[in-house]
Amino acid sequence: MPLSTQSEAGDERYVLVASLDNVRNLSNILKAITFKDHALFNATPNGLKVTVEDSKCLQANAFIQAEIFQEFTIQEDSVSFQVNLTVLLDCLTIFGGSTTPGVTTALRMCYNGYGYPLTLFLEEGGVVTVCKINTEEPEDPIDFEFCSTNVTNKVILQSDSLREAFSELDMTSEILQITMSPSQPYFRLSTFGNSGNAHYDYPKDSDMMELFQCTKTQTNRYKMSLLKPSTKALALSCKVSVRTDTRGFLSLQYLVRNDDGQICFVEYYCCPDEEVEEE
Amino acid sequence: MDCMVTGGHVKVLATAIHSLSRIGEDLYLQPQEDELALRTVNSSHSAYACFLFSPPFFQQYSSCKSPTFHCKMAIKCVQAVFRSLSSLEKMVERCRIQLNSEKSRLTFTLHCKHGLLKTHNLSIQDCESLQAVFNKESCANVLRAQPRLLVETVLHFPTSVEEVSVSVSSERVCFRNHVEEEAEQSKAVLTELSLSAKEFEQFTVGCPGRVTFCLKEMRGLLMFAESSGLPVSLHFDEPGRPVILSLTESVLEVNFVLATLSEDSHLCNHFNNSTECHQNPALLPDDFMNDDIDSYLIAMETSELASGGSGCPPTLPRKASMGQLRARASSEGEEEEEEEEEEMRRPPNEKFRSLFFGSMLPTSSQATNQTLRTQEVLASDSENEEEDSSF
Amino acid sequence: MKFRAKMVDVGCLNHFTRVVNTISKLTKTCTLRLTTDNLFFMLSDKVANGGVSMWCELSQANFFDEFQLEGVSAEANEIYLELQPEYMSRALKTAQNAKSLKIKLTKKHCPCLTVAAELPSVSSVSRLVTHDIPVDVIPRRLWQDFKEPSVPDFDVSIYLPPLKTMKNVVDRMKNLSNQLVVEANRNGEMNLKIETDLVSVSTHFKDLGNPTWSDDASQGQSQGRAPEAMAHARVDIKKLQQLLAGQQVNPSKAMCNIVNKRMLHFILLHEDVSLQYFIPQWPEKRILGYKTPEKHLNSGSVGRKP
Repeated sequence: MPLSTQSEAGDERYVLVASLDNVRNLSNILKAITFKDHALFNATPNGLKVTVEDSKCLQANAFIQAEIFQEFTIQEDSVSFQVNLTVLLDCLTIFGGSTTPGVTTALRMCYNGYGYPLTLFLEEGGVVTVCKINTEEPEDPIDFEFCSTNVTNKVILQSDSLREAFSELDMTSEILQITMSPSQPYFRLSTFGNSGNAHYDYPKDSDMMELFQCTKTQTNRYKMSLLKPSTKALALSCKVSVRTDTRGFLSLQYLVRNDDGQICFVEYYCCPDEEVEEE
Repeated sequence: MDCMVTGGHVKVLATAIHSLSRIGEDLYLQPQEDELALRTVNSSHSAYACFLFSPPFFQQYSSCKSPTFHCKMAIKCVQAVFRSLSSLEKMVERCRIQLNSEKSRLTFTLHCKHGLLKTHNLSIQDCESLQAVFNKESCANVLRAQPRLLVETVLHFPTSVEEVSVSVSSERVCFRNHVEEEAEQSKAVLTELSLSAKEFEQFTVGCPGRVTFCLKEMRGLLMFAESSGLPVSLHFDEPGRPVILSLTESVLEVNFVLATLSEDSHLCNHFNNSTECHQNPALLPDDFMNDDIDSYLIAMETSELASGGSGCPPTLPRKASMGQLRARASSEGEEEEEEEEEEMRRPPNEKFRSLFFGSMLPTSSQATNQTLRTQEVLASDSENEEEDSSF
Repeated sequence: MKFRAKMVDVGCLNHFTRVVNTISKLTKTCTLRLTTDNLFFMLSDKVANGGVSMWCELSQANFFDEFQLEGVSAEANEIYLELQPEYMSRALKTAQNAKSLKIKLTKKHCPCLTVAAELPSVSSVSRLVTHDIPVDVIPRRLWQDFKEPSVPDFDVSIYLPPLKTMKNVVDRMKNLSNQLVVEANRNGEMNLKIETDLVSVSTHFKDLGNPTWSDDASQGQSQGRAPEAMAHARVDIKKLQQLLAGQQVNPSKAMCNIVNKRMLHFILLHEDVSLQYFIPQWPEKRILGYKTPEKHLNSGSVGRKP
C-alpha cells in the first residue's frame, strides 16, 4: 500500500494533523455528546473542541487538549469544520473498539481545509482502514453566556451518586426540577410524572458531595428530553459539577478520565424551561 | 398505614412487586392488622396473585384505622420505585411506606447509602377488594420442589410458548407445551420434559391426569421463588379447576392462582390418546422399526397427505383460542364485577375460566345463573352508554 | 424410511450444536440431507433468500456413536428433509449437558425429527426431554434441486483474515451502507469498501496468502491475471454479516473465491465440517442460462492433490 508514503508526503498540505496511539481516547469522549448527528469541530493550538446542540436550548462540548494527542499539528490559529458524528464514531470504532489490554487502534486524523473531507487512517494489528468523511459548512455555536461570576449555586458530586438517579428518572415527567439551597433540602432532583412525584435529596454533608457552595435557594425546571442525553456523559465521568447562574441556566461539567489516566472535560449547558419563569 | 422494611427484606418486597408486575397492571393494597396484602389479577381474570406479609416481616408495622381499607395503583409506578433489583441490596438501607388515605397518596421513602433520600409519592385509587376463592388443601395433587428444578424446567420452553400442560402419574410428572389447533400443531415444535417423583420434596398424586395453564404467570412466581430460594408447591386436581402455586415462610405467604383449561378442550388436543406422559419415547424399547414414515412419503408423492395418515381423530369442534379470549376480556377494560367460583354454565367458547372472586358477591340465584357471556355484554353496553353520552 | 442416531460425547454435542447454530444464523429454513456417511445442511439458490446459497457437510462418524439409516430404497439410500434450523438449535441448547442425545425421524402428528435427551438430575433418575420438530419430507423427484454446488471459475482465491476482525469491520460498515465491495488479488491482498454520500471507508488486509488449487484450476481465469490485479464483487452487506455473525469458532481454514462482478464463494473448513456460502453480486441479476465453468472441490479439502 502506498498509504504511509502518501500521508507523509501530504502532511504539509494538511491544515490539521492529529494522531493518537489509542483511538478510544477520542471515541469515548465523543460518545458522551452523541445525541444529534451534526457536530462542530473547532481546533486551536490548545486542542480540539467538539460541539453538539439541540433546539437552541442545549449545548454539549467535549474538550480534548492537544497534550492528549501524540501529534497535534495545526497550521492556522483556528480550524473549524462540521461532520456527522454518528458516522465519525462508526469509523473510529471500525475495528470494534476493543477493550482488550494490549490491543489498541491507532489513529491519524487529517484535514485539508475548507471543502475537503476529514480523512482518518486507522490501524490495528497491521490492518489499515482509510475513511473519508465529507465535511459540512460549519455553523456558529450558540453562546450561552454562562459566566462563572454569575454563578449562584454550585455543587460537585461523585458521578456514581447521580448516575443511579438519572437512570431511574421517571420519563413520564416532562421536566426535571433542580433545587439548590443553602438550607434543606440542599440539593434535590424532582420529577412530576403520570402517577405521582419523586424527589431525590442529597444532603450537603454526604460523602458523595465534594463541594457545596449554595448561596441562595433556587428552583429551576429543565426539559427532561434535553437533559436525558447527559446521562451518557455521566456514565463515563468520575465527577460532575452542577452550577446554576442568576438566570437559572444550568451548567453540568463532567470530568472524564481516559484509558491512560489523562483528564478531559465534557460540558452541557441547558436553558431553564420557560414556564417556570412565568410562575 | 405506616411501615418500615429494612435490610434484605427490602429486596424481598421489591422482588414481590416485580413478580406481580408480570401478571397484572394494577397493584391492590390492603393493609390489615395481621398482614399486609399485595394482590393483582391479569386482564382476562384467569390469573390471580397474592403476597401476604405478616407484621414481623417489617421492622415496624401499623395498619390502617379502617380495617376494610383497600386501594389500588398502577403497578408500573411501584415498580419504578424499585427499578434496579441488583443495586437495591447495596444501596438501600431501609424503606418506609406510608399511606395517607385523605390525600389518596402512598409514599415510599428509600433511605440510601451516602445519605441519599428518595421519596416517591404515588396517587392511589379506591377500589373493591380483590380476593380469589381457592382452597389449596382440597387439591388432590401436591408437588413441592426447590425453585431451581422448576426454573430449569421452564427453561426448556421458549418464551413464545404460552401454555404448558402438566400431567402426573404416581412416578413422574411431565411438562409439555400446549398447542391449540391441528393446523398449528403441524408447524409447532412439541417439547416434553419428564421428571421423576424423586426430584421432588413432596409428590402426592391423588388424581392422576393433566392440567393446562399459562406459563407466563408461572414464570412470574418462579422469578420470586428463585430470588428467595423458597420451595414451590403446585396444588391441582382436575382440568378446569385452578392450579395454585404457593410459597410459605414464617413471615410471608405467596399464592398464585391460575385458571386451567377445561376437560373438553383437552379432548381437542389429540395428543391425549396417542402418547401419554409416562410413556416417554426415550423410555420405550428401541423404536427404530416403529418409526417408519414411508407412508408420509407415499402420501406426499400422491398429494394425499391432507386426508390424514397421521391417525388423527376425525374433525374436532373448533374452539376459540385463549388468545382471543384474553384479547376480548382486556378490550373491555376495567371490569370489576365479581363472579361466583361455583359451578356456572360457561359459554360454549369459553376455555379458561375466570377466577372471580367471591367476597363481595350477591349469592342470589340470579347471580349464579348469569353466564360470563351475559356479564360481558352488560359491561360493553355500559361502555357504549358512556360513549353515547359524550356526543 | 427410517433414521436414528445417538450421541453420548459432550464434546461432539457441543460441536454439533455450534454447527447447527451457525446454520440457523444463515437461514430460516434449510434442507437436511441424510446419507449413511454424511449429514448435509443445504440452502439452494432461491431468489427469496437473496440468491444466497449454502452447503454444509458433516461426516456422521465424527459426531455420532450410533447412526442407522434406511433411505427411500436400496439404490437411493438417502433421506431429504426440510426443516427450520432455529428449532433444532433451540432443542440442542436445552440439551447442553445431556448424558445422551438421540435424533430420530418419527411419525407424530406430522413427520418430525425428534431430539430426545437424557439430562442429569438431582435424583438417581434422569430427566428426559424430547422436542418434536416438524419437518417436511422431500420427495425423490425433487432431489435433483439439491446438487452439490461446484466451485465457480473464480478470478481470485484468497485466505480470509481472522473472522472476528472481519466481523467487526463489516458490522460497522453495515451501519453506514447497504452494499459492500470485496476485492482481492493474487498477491494476498484483500479490501473491504463502502461508499455513500457521507463517507467512504476502505479496510486493507495484506499478506493473507492465496490457496493453491488442484490441476484443472490452472486452466481457469485466475492463472492469467497479474498478481496485483484486483477482482471484486459488490454484495448485500447483510448477507456477509450473517455469515460472520454465525461463526462462533475460528475455522481451521477460511477462504473466499471471487468471480469478478458476479459472486463471492466462501469456504470455511473445520476439521470435520465444511461450510460453503455463495453471495451473488448486487443487484441480484441472475442471467438465465448462464453457467460458470466448473472446478472441482474435493469434499472441502483444498490443496494440490498428488
